[in-house]
Amino acid sequence: MSNSFELKFKATLSNELLARNSLTSFLSPYNLGLDEISEFKTIVSEAVSNAIIHGYKFDSNKYVYMKATIFEDEVEIIIKDYGVGIENVKEARVPHYTSRPDLERAGMGLTIIDSLSDSFNITSIVGVGVKLIIKKKFHPVVING
Amino acid sequence: MESKIKITSFDEGLVIKISGDLDSSKTFLYKEKIHQYMREYGPKYIIWDFKDLTFIDSAGIGLILGRFNEIERVKGIMGLIGLNSYSRKVIQISGLFSIMKEYSSLKAFMKEERITL
Repeated sequence: MSNSFELKFKATLSNELLARNSLTSFLSPYNLGLDEISEFKTIVSEAVSNAIIHGYKFDSNKYVYMKATIFEDEVEIIIKDYGVGIENVKEARVPHYTSRPDLERAGMGLTIIDSLSDSFNITSIVGVGVKLIIKKKFHPVVING
Repeated sequence: MESKIKITSFDEGLVIKISGDLDSSKTFLYKEKIHQYMREYGPKYIIWDFKDLTFIDSAGIGLILGRFNEIERVKGIMGLIGLNSYSRKVIQISGLFSIMKEYSSLKAFMKEERITL
């Protein structure tokens, strides 16, 4: 039986913490190593901040949706927003492409998700929203004794 | 995990130690604090110590990049110490190693960059 949870939260950057800590709590029974936990946290944070900053343009009346499911040794994370969408997904995936250089972020969010995950899919319709499906394998730490 | 920043000065440099989760709720505050020290000390070298860092994302990478651009203007050098395999991976993905190096310690940085007190 696969375990899963869903989360719906307001599109404000302070909820990045809620999103990544919810996933950390959800994964805690599976004994992941600290580095791997941190990688999951970074993935969630990048996906959620993209939804808030680019999808909703910081409109905190809107909601971000998150779902995580565990399949044996893999976690599937879905992050969804109903914001402006991405006009050119290919261009958005190029490292250092950012539509908001003023924010002093790296323009690397999607590249980071791509590199830290095992599979990463973006579906977007302009004016409808963006759905990210991210899959990442995990490796439980074996504790002796 | 709660995040903290500790900045110490050495000769013409600053060591910026950030622990815990460096997320977007912290970057603005930290940028202000670092600027305060930069104004006071006018450093040529900035070393980030990430020994106790538990989380970084592109907001944190942006904080590093922004300070790199400032230190580059005075022909300074930026370095990284205390990386664990996770932070090294995120920094590597972000391409920061093309503009700054990792050192095993502050002492190693001084030696490799031939900085004498």
